[in-house]
Amino acid sequence: MLEGFASGLLIAAQPDNLLYCLIGALVGTLVGVLPGIGSIAAVAMLLPITFYLQPTSALIMLAGIYYGAQYGSSTTAILVNIPGENSSIVTCLDGYQLARQGRAGPALAIAALASLFAGFFATGFIAVFAPPLAEFALLFGPAEYFSLMVLGLLAAIVLAQGSILKALGVIMLGLLLASVGTDVESGAARLTLGIPELADGIGIVPMAMGIFGVGEIIKNLENPSDRQILSQRFGKLWPTRDDFRRCWLVVVRSTALGSALGLLPGGGSVLSAFAAYSLEKRLARDPQRFGRGAVEGVAAPESANNAGAQTSFIPLLTLGIPSNGVIALMAGAMMVHGVQPGPQMMSKNPDIFWGLIASMLIGNIMLVIINLPLIRIWVLLLKVPYHLFYPMILVFCCIGVYTLNNSTFEVMLLLVFGLVGYAFIKWECEPAPLLLAFVLGPMIEENLRRAMQLSFGDPLTFIKRPISASLLALATGLLVMLLLPAFQRTREVALKEDD
Amino acid sequence: MLRIRNMNDLVVGGLLIAVALLALALAARLAGGSATSMGPGYVPRLICFLQIAIGIAIVLRGLAVDGARSVAWSFRPLLWILVSVAFFALTIERLGLVLSIFGLVMLSTLGHPRPRLVSAILLGLFMAAFSVAVFVLALGLPMLVWPAALMR
Repeated sequence: MLEGFASGLLIAAQPDNLLYCLIGALVGTLVGVLPGIGSIAAVAMLLPITFYLQPTSALIMLAGIYYGAQYGSSTTAILVNIPGENSSIVTCLDGYQLARQGRAGPALAIAALASLFAGFFATGFIAVFAPPLAEFALLFGPAEYFSLMVLGLLAAIVLAQGSILKALGVIMLGLLLASVGTDVESGAARLTLGIPELADGIGIVPMAMGIFGVGEIIKNLENPSDRQILSQRFGKLWPTRDDFRRCWLVVVRSTALGSALGLLPGGGSVLSAFAAYSLEKRLARDPQRFGRGAVEGVAAPESANNAGAQTSFIPLLTLGIPSNGVIALMAGAMMVHGVQPGPQMMSKNPDIFWGLIASMLIGNIMLVIINLPLIRIWVLLLKVPYHLFYPMILVFCCIGVYTLNNSTFEVMLLLVFGLVGYAFIKWECEPAPLLLAFVLGPMIEENLRRAMQLSFGDPLTFIKRPISASLLALATGLLVMLLLPAFQRTREVALKEDD
Repeated sequence: MLRIRNMNDLVVGGLLIAVALLALALAARLAGGSATSMGPGYVPRLICFLQIAIGIAIVLRGLAVDGARSVAWSFRPLLWILVSVAFFALTIERLGLVLSIFGLVMLSTLGHPRPRLVSAILLGLFMAAFSVAVFVLALGLPMLVWPAALMR
């Protein structure tokens, strides 16, 4: 493992990979700082560009966007009291209070340093746990994969906000959209409405950009408010000794919690941040301080969200299963480059596997430098008013989608999914499971068909094979738990806890 | 008597059912095959049936359980943002990048509740120049820059 990691470091330290790592970190910080554009939309916007890159560079850059956004979003949360990214919602609570007390500087520094620690730990965590997990996953046949993906989709619902039934419906819709296009085995055109452009299926880029980019813009325009940046002076940047004393244990605990929660399907940065904040509030000797400018209230979510963002790569790298929307797009990027994410990746594409992991180490160091000494630049960007900002995003979305295949049809798809994205917001449907189901759809179908072929049409094969059976048992347990009213109540409380 | 208690549920459930029915109709001619060797139509139909079942459950819940009031749509941003994207799609291969981007920016600005004409024009010019510089000159993407009629 150490050898692998060392070789990965060599790959990640190649000049061009360093450059793309830096670009990813910069773009990530940018979208993190700017509210109104999330990491899914940003990854979708950069996806077309990555087609011209080496697969390793491409993935290093896209990964940098995801964890870079965790750094950037804390800046906006602390200075403006608006989360730049959903994962920093809880950071607003104490971060903004600290800023009002004239301690914005230390709050920013603690957020960045906590993220750095979490980033280092999570990178090590991936390097240690991914290889054995990938080896275990080599035992999986089609039946096991099918069951695993069903479990993954159901687990994604647990973390979706709002109604479980609606989330189930959205997943079905995602699977259905995924089946549009040419059937791989028979070559038959399915559900294409006779449109030749749909023969290759619906593009994931127009879909993700439409729902998470265009739809979001329309929502933000409902009532655009001018942002108030609290203080131009941050106070001293460096935290006091007392701050460090209060925070170190919190950071360690939150990093561990975030790393574990990042592994869950549907998990990642958002869940980790919420969970870490409530845990620390419960453990604190003086919980009253939370929400009134406690440094721990910044340290906990910021370390947890970065740890969670990074460990959510593990299911992708070891099982080939994306656990959230951003990772689903990364899976799409890998497949475009002919890299099949999954257990074979470590042996077939060790350069990509270890290069990507090692780049996280480098990326985190870059991010601290980007975020602390350069903080003033990002604050300047925050001053760009939204009426200038959203047309720029639209331009990038349109050109990005068009240049994918020089297809105006895909731009029209962008429009359609923009409408869908806005409708989802209005109907209180969580859109992330749609993207997840859309990416998993073809894999689920393929494995289902293969498993049934191998068992001569006997559906019992899914329960006869022990690994598959236990995965399905977990999935069933989850579903039953989800539909129990008592659990529904605690879930609502857990997902909404932000007071 | 039945009463609508949650409009969102009714709409979402109804649409899920409608989309699934449409897909079933479209997939009608696809071979289903057997469980052992599934044809192209097998899995889509399976998904459709599940989706219809879930859709019915959502509709029933909308009739049984009170939900939050559905929120009104803002048609102004919706209309202008979608129109601006459509404008880009329809003009990029005829009018070229410069006019297409300029129009996209101008139309999208109308989606703002307080559009500012001067800054929109400046932004439109800037984005058009920027797009040509980055995407055509720097990245070398094959795109029409000026109207096709002028280029002949």
